[in-house]
Amino acid sequence: MRRIAIRSILFDRGKLIASLLGVALASTLGFVQIGLYEGFVRSSSTVIDHVGGDMWVMPRGLNVIDYSQILSVGPRGLLFSHPCVADVRGLLYGFSWVQRPSGTRSTAIVVAVEPRPGRQIPWGHLLGNAADLNEPLRVSVDRTDLHKLELPSNPLGKNFEINSLKVTVSAVTDGIRSFTLNPYIFTSMTNGRRLLGLSENEVMYYVVDLVDRRCAADLVQWMRRYPDIEVVDSATWSRETQDYWVGGSGAGAALAFTAILGMFVGGVIVGQTLYSMAKEHLLELATLKAVGARPMELAGFVLWQVAFLASVGVVCGFVLALVLRRALSHVGLSVVVSAGTVSLSILATLLMCIFASVTSLSAVFKVEAAKVLR
Amino acid sequence: MDTIQTAGQRDTVLARALAVSKTFRSGSIDVTVLRDVTLQVRTGELVLLMGPSGSGKTTLLCVLSGLLRPSAGAVDLCGVPISRLPERAAGEVRRRNVGFVFQTYNLFPALSALDNVAEVLALKGMAREQARAVAGGSLAGVGLGARLDHRPGELSGGERQRVAIARALAGDPSLIFGDEPTAALDRQTGLEIVALLKQHVNEHRGVLLVTHDARLLQFADRVIEIDDGRIVRDESIRSLPAVKAVPTQ
Repeated sequence: MRRIAIRSILFDRGKLIASLLGVALASTLGFVQIGLYEGFVRSSSTVIDHVGGDMWVMPRGLNVIDYSQILSVGPRGLLFSHPCVADVRGLLYGFSWVQRPSGTRSTAIVVAVEPRPGRQIPWGHLLGNAADLNEPLRVSVDRTDLHKLELPSNPLGKNFEINSLKVTVSAVTDGIRSFTLNPYIFTSMTNGRRLLGLSENEVMYYVVDLVDRRCAADLVQWMRRYPDIEVVDSATWSRETQDYWVGGSGAGAALAFTAILGMFVGGVIVGQTLYSMAKEHLLELATLKAVGARPMELAGFVLWQVAFLASVGVVCGFVLALVLRRALSHVGLSVVVSAGTVSLSILATLLMCIFASVTSLSAVFKVEAAKVLR
Repeated sequence: MDTIQTAGQRDTVLARALAVSKTFRSGSIDVTVLRDVTLQVRTGELVLLMGPSGSGKTTLLCVLSGLLRPSAGAVDLCGVPISRLPERAAGEVRRRNVGFVFQTYNLFPALSALDNVAEVLALKGMAREQARAVAGGSLAGVGLGARLDHRPGELSGGERQRVAIARALAGDPSLIFGDEPTAALDRQTGLEIVALLKQHVNEHRGVLLVTHDARLLQFADRVIEIDDGRIVRDESIRSLPAVKAVPTQ
């Protein structure tokens, strides 16, 4: 039945093109929307995920990294006194205003973290030397933010102002983009405190590395001596930040809605093609039934066509999505292509095709062999 | 299968209807299409089932082939009480024993003549290569050896019907049912098609054709006439004093 099904759909070029377009566009939408969603999720918590650590210490009640507040130096000593704590790093994360070369103002997020061997912050190094960030008022900017900061494509050595302080670009990264679209400005702790107006030893977060992760609960208990701070494991903190931005802002729901709508429209197009194909061939299928073809063999007529459309359509959709991904990256939108997003998109397309084949399968199962005799 | 000794020849009953009635419900009205029909089709004979439109010919063909269940009576197909079998089992009986030829050919337009025949054989469980070889032989047997790769759209009506006959013959069925196989063909082609079917009637195979066309009587071994759901005549063609006296529809 495979041969009959595939030959039949290849024979009718109009239906073939219409249905392949339906599947390809729907799956492109699936790939892009799911990839965008994943991009938003990752960008919302990118600093948490790249700084790493086992636990984060922060003022009680925070639910997103961006709403940072100043922590005193006090908890650092208590953290170090716990036998399970291997290392404590201070982290600065705060909004500051930026004056661009043209004199216009904007906001940016200044980030600095105490260094730890094996953790390169900032990551995604493109130009310059990250070690230079330790020099006074040297900063790193991301390639995707150059236009926003009115900097040239090679901005090394160029200046702009943060919080009335003239900074010099000494490194450029690629792909560090914030969910809020504010440029990330990475620098050293000393520079960061100057740019954010903090006193010496003041930080926004402490990032804790444990000797043994099983100590986490004990450390939380240990830190209750400071009732105004909270200790959260990194994964939870990352997820809370993602939920706040992607879930709370409605961005995730909007992307999901568009993806579902795309799948629905694609499903209707494919469903119509399959149904008309099945209806056109009912007499031939009834003939096969008359000579003893079993219902599942007849269903193969629809199922093989669905399998063909789904597999070819998904490949076309994936290629289109890669083209779109490249185009979107130029406007600063990150479409993540990972095993997870690809699998999910393929699964969604398959489900769409299965949904689309229901009416055709029903028509084929109901075909009466006696129909061929008039 | 029952075997009947006649004139030194062993005839096997391929299809048998015994006191068959068929009633359809149309809204609140019961319409009886077949009434107490009893008949047999044997190997070695080409039987014409004739009668006016609406007389029940096609319904009888459906019932005999197990495509419809009788409301009363019993039907055996190739020795199997098909009227008592569930649909799936009846399908298996047809799969092994029956071929069909239709007025509208019912060929897949996307497939070549060879594939139209071979795919049915593949559905019946034959290996693909063997199916293609058998299909090629069957098409050559109906005079289409040079048209194997042509699609139905590239064939004339008569050639399409030959493909349909090759498809029906390819599984080496015992019984071929034909429903007005010449109705869409011109006179000469129609006669050639039935002559072709007649060539394949032998001691292992029989043919039952529903037709309005009295010219086909020249090929028939027996004619059964049905009117208003009843068999009004069932005679060997050799016993008819004047073949041309059979009314033409």
